[in-house]
Amino acid sequence: MASAAQRRIKSISYAKYGYMFIAPFFLVYCFFQIWPLIYTFILSFQGNQANNGQWVGLDNYNTILFGEGMAAGAADLRGEFLQSLGNTFILWFGNFIPQILLSLLLAVWFTDATVKLPGKGFFKVVMYMPNIITAASVAALYVNLFGDSKYYFINATLMNMGLAEPIAFVSDPVISKIMVMFIQTWLWFGNTMIMLMSGIMGINPSLFEAANIDGANSRQVFFRVTLPLLQPIMVYTMITSMIGGLQMFDIPFLYHTGANFDRDLETVAVFIYYNFNKGTVEQANYGYAGAASIIIFVITALLGSFTFYFNRDKDEIAKKKQRKRAMKQYKARMKQGGLSL
Amino acid sequence: MKNMKQQYGQPKDNYHARIMAKSIAIFCVCILLTLICLVPIYILAVNATHGHMDLAKNPSNFWFGSSIGDNFDTLLGKVKTGAARQYSGSFDVVQGYVNSLLIAGCTTGLTVFFSAMTAYGLTVYDFKLRGAAYTLIITVMMIPMQVSSAGFVRFMYSLGLINNFIPLIVPAIAAPAVVFYMRSYMKSSFPLDIVEASRIDGCGEFRTFLTIAIPMMKPAIAVQAIFAFVANWNNFYTQNMILKSDKLATMPIMVTKVLGFDKNVDYGVNYLCVTLSILPIVVIYFCLSKFIVGGVALGGVKE
Amino acid sequence: MSKLKRTLALLATLAMASTAFVACGGGDTESKEESKADNSAAESKDDAGAESEDAGTESEDAGTEGADLKLADDGDCLTIVCWTDTDLNNMFDVYTEKNADAVVGETIKYQNCGMNGGEASTQYATYLNSGDDVDLFVAEAGWILNYINDDSFAAPLSDLGITEADYADAYDYTVKIATDNNGVLKGASWQAAAGGFCYNTDIASEKLGITTPEDMQAAIGSWDGFKATAEQLKTATDGAVTMCATLGGLWQCFSTATGAAWVDGTTLNTTAVKDFTAMAKEMVDAGYVNPAIDQWTADWTNVGLNGETLGYFYSTWCLGAGAQLEQNGGTAGNWNIVVGPQEYFWGGSWLCVSPNCDNAKMAADFIKTFTVDATTMEEYALYSGDFVNNKTAMNNIVSAGTNSNALLGGQDQFAVLADVAAGIDMSATISKYDQSLKDTYLPALRDNIDKSVDEVVAAYTSDALAANPDLSAE
Repeated sequence: MASAAQRRIKSISYAKYGYMFIAPFFLVYCFFQIWPLIYTFILSFQGNQANNGQWVGLDNYNTILFGEGMAAGAADLRGEFLQSLGNTFILWFGNFIPQILLSLLLAVWFTDATVKLPGKGFFKVVMYMPNIITAASVAALYVNLFGDSKYYFINATLMNMGLAEPIAFVSDPVISKIMVMFIQTWLWFGNTMIMLMSGIMGINPSLFEAANIDGANSRQVFFRVTLPLLQPIMVYTMITSMIGGLQMFDIPFLYHTGANFDRDLETVAVFIYYNFNKGTVEQANYGYAGAASIIIFVITALLGSFTFYFNRDKDEIAKKKQRKRAMKQYKARMKQGGLSL
Repeated sequence: MKNMKQQYGQPKDNYHARIMAKSIAIFCVCILLTLICLVPIYILAVNATHGHMDLAKNPSNFWFGSSIGDNFDTLLGKVKTGAARQYSGSFDVVQGYVNSLLIAGCTTGLTVFFSAMTAYGLTVYDFKLRGAAYTLIITVMMIPMQVSSAGFVRFMYSLGLINNFIPLIVPAIAAPAVVFYMRSYMKSSFPLDIVEASRIDGCGEFRTFLTIAIPMMKPAIAVQAIFAFVANWNNFYTQNMILKSDKLATMPIMVTKVLGFDKNVDYGVNYLCVTLSILPIVVIYFCLSKFIVGGVALGGVKE
Repeated sequence: MSKLKRTLALLATLAMASTAFVACGGGDTESKEESKADNSAAESKDDAGAESEDAGTESEDAGTEGADLKLADDGDCLTIVCWTDTDLNNMFDVYTEKNADAVVGETIKYQNCGMNGGEASTQYATYLNSGDDVDLFVAEAGWILNYINDDSFAAPLSDLGITEADYADAYDYTVKIATDNNGVLKGASWQAAAGGFCYNTDIASEKLGITTPEDMQAAIGSWDGFKATAEQLKTATDGAVTMCATLGGLWQCFSTATGAAWVDGTTLNTTAVKDFTAMAKEMVDAGYVNPAIDQWTADWTNVGLNGETLGYFYSTWCLGAGAQLEQNGGTAGNWNIVVGPQEYFWGGSWLCVSPNCDNAKMAADFIKTFTVDATTMEEYALYSGDFVNNKTAMNNIVSAGTNSNALLGGQDQFAVLADVAAGIDMSATISKYDQSLKDTYLPALRDNIDKSVDEVVAAYTSDALAANPDLSAE
């Protein structure tokens, strides 16, 4: 059936173009990221402060994971690292779960043709808006509104309404965490909502029609049609949110009133930044920062692979298996054929 | 006839009433969320118009004050006496916006173009290392920025690229998450036959990409362009480590710096500084909102 | 093949376009070229300036002559890195009046790189490494040792022709602290940071019946007296007015007065911390001080503005125009200063020389003007309200008795603080960990104020060791 031109094109190898198209990505990546990554890896085996640059083997890992390193304060450093790891997960879960639920709900509402909602476009625009504000400004905004004392807007207003003592929105260990979760949700729910909406709009409308004709109610439609078909975009959201969550830095780092960041909000990213940027070379803990970096990478990679594994495209895998089987059969037949010749 | 109407009319009314109730409920939730999104910014703008003494006496203001001019003069360093002198030259709104826009603009361009290119290469061509390259990109996507940031900053120091926009812009060419997204998009909505057709017409590979693939990927590019712009606009972490000079300070750096003046705190000026870092971008956003949210909603991973 | 070529060409163009963008952004190269162009003009200006100085025939000018300058002198602008600019603004005012060739923003400027006091030390290292022009930098007592003991950050003052002999008239501790581990002098301080207790005279007379600073000093001259007065104030105001604004201020007075070191070698010393924690808990429980108010925050300012505290612990650098006293409600002149429960000091800043200094002449002149030259230092003390690091200058001011600080209702803060300044000696107790430990202790105290002393100390020890793993607990 194929024309001569088509046949000619089929015979040309286009592989070299493939390499050319992906070359810039990998060149830039290697230059700007691979070497720093290796360097971080090396740093994680080298000493801290006065010992910087000396090879110390696994001492940094020993210190921050087991509290058994050579530094006198190893156990305390481990305590700090584990706390920061705990905080990272608490803060991530605490903003991811409400965020995805809220976004999903809104996305379904906004794409539901039966719901008559005036100003739908306006709502979408407003809800995405927090996402465009610089995180530094967002932290400053909330610190200035929610400051601990009666000199800040929220507490002043609440106290005008009859509250007796100001609430420590910024320095209380628990309330400040809830505030950070709220701010993160505030920042990101619009973004997630729009991602999910685009996913829902991408689903073939005939499926919804078919479900409606079959008499499915809106809950059934959601769980049987929308959610399964939304899986690829949910995976994308999960993965990007997880990566973002594990490297949460700006808000926890900036949400404080005193001179330094709040230890109750210290995430791993803050731990890394703080140990790496402690002043002069003699003061900085490059080793611990490096080790913490590698540990967070391993955690991300494990969680990421896990997510991918559970959400891998089952059809594709089945197809692949089928293809393999067919290939095997074909080869076997060829062999037989060869023998018979 | 009457009976029939009684029989069939009711469920329909019922249905309408339910839809109506649902719509009203949703509308209320949306109004609430809108308020949560807008009120903090309104309060911020209100407080920016009050003076420090005013705010110290009564921080709970709901309407605009009259000190905006004074706050402006102080923040922009026009007041040359007293405590206000600390602001001299630290906060150059225009410079901050120019630097931030430059960085965010360039990175966005590079990110979407090269990511589309990489995704195209991975989808259209069949080559030996394709699977390996894709796996690598997915792995690389999971490396948090902080992981390599330590090494990255040290490396930039040794290259002498501190106080330079290059380390903030050029790495944007390699944006694994964007490639991941664009590849999914292409897989689902880019027919490979088109490439073949254009080859038959004698169109070069790169031209095919530029003139056929890119226009077809517009929705995906629009989404990722917006996300990339926002991400880089907000990238305080890397900027803070790379840019040390006042002239190169971006908006987030300036805001953090002004708010960091911890010996003489002036509320009104603090509020104004944060307002200035937020309002213009919000106004631009609302002006372009049709395009932005429309664009975002257009693109989606179709499966 | 031609298509391949075309593709490559396109790629190359794109790459070039992107570098062009980047070049625009860089800005650095541009400004360097600019500065080169300006160089010749600036040099000629510099020369003229030097000559006019010579004409002034000041004895110390011999020291600034080319021979002694080991650092470059081809830069066009003296850049001073600092983390708070109140002092430098005042210095520039005085300096530009004396030197026609010093034009702020053109031939002399400061770069404020501190996000805030505590974080400044971390910002410094990256800033000084960034390759931006730095001639001098201002370092604070809490972290100066980290910088003067590193040759890549600080050059000896002798490179500018300044020696220890120049500081015969200075307060000894300022010289001792700025001397590095090898005995080389690497910094010079313009101030002796004596501290006192400032109180609101309206509150004092209305609620306590105290009308003169002498009476106040008699009342709060000891910690017991301080607490008794606080109790009296609490009763008189129903607890609406605290005795002092912050725990941070109390801590500064208590710790430096007792001369307690944060560390002995590499071992954490918690003696003072324990004692203070006990006292702080007592005062907080009794309601004499509000633990939720942090030092140097807006709250700290507001309690003064709203008359909710009797007083603040202030160092001399808080007392000048535009400094903390004014900001915290001192504009009406209804404040007075007394020594307080104990003689103490607070902070202190040193001018250090970067090895990359390229304005040696002016840098040397600037340092000498503010740390050696008694005449200018006296003038500066009167102008800025800061207690300068020169005994002759201070004695002159105090004995003349003409200084009156409008913010303090005409009181002379130097007369109050002169003895305090003479007694300062922190050179034995200072360590490179000070800033970090102080930044750890106060939050730990605040967060655990309702727990026992041992628990507070344990929390502090744990945080301190985590922040400085090379230290060990007692």
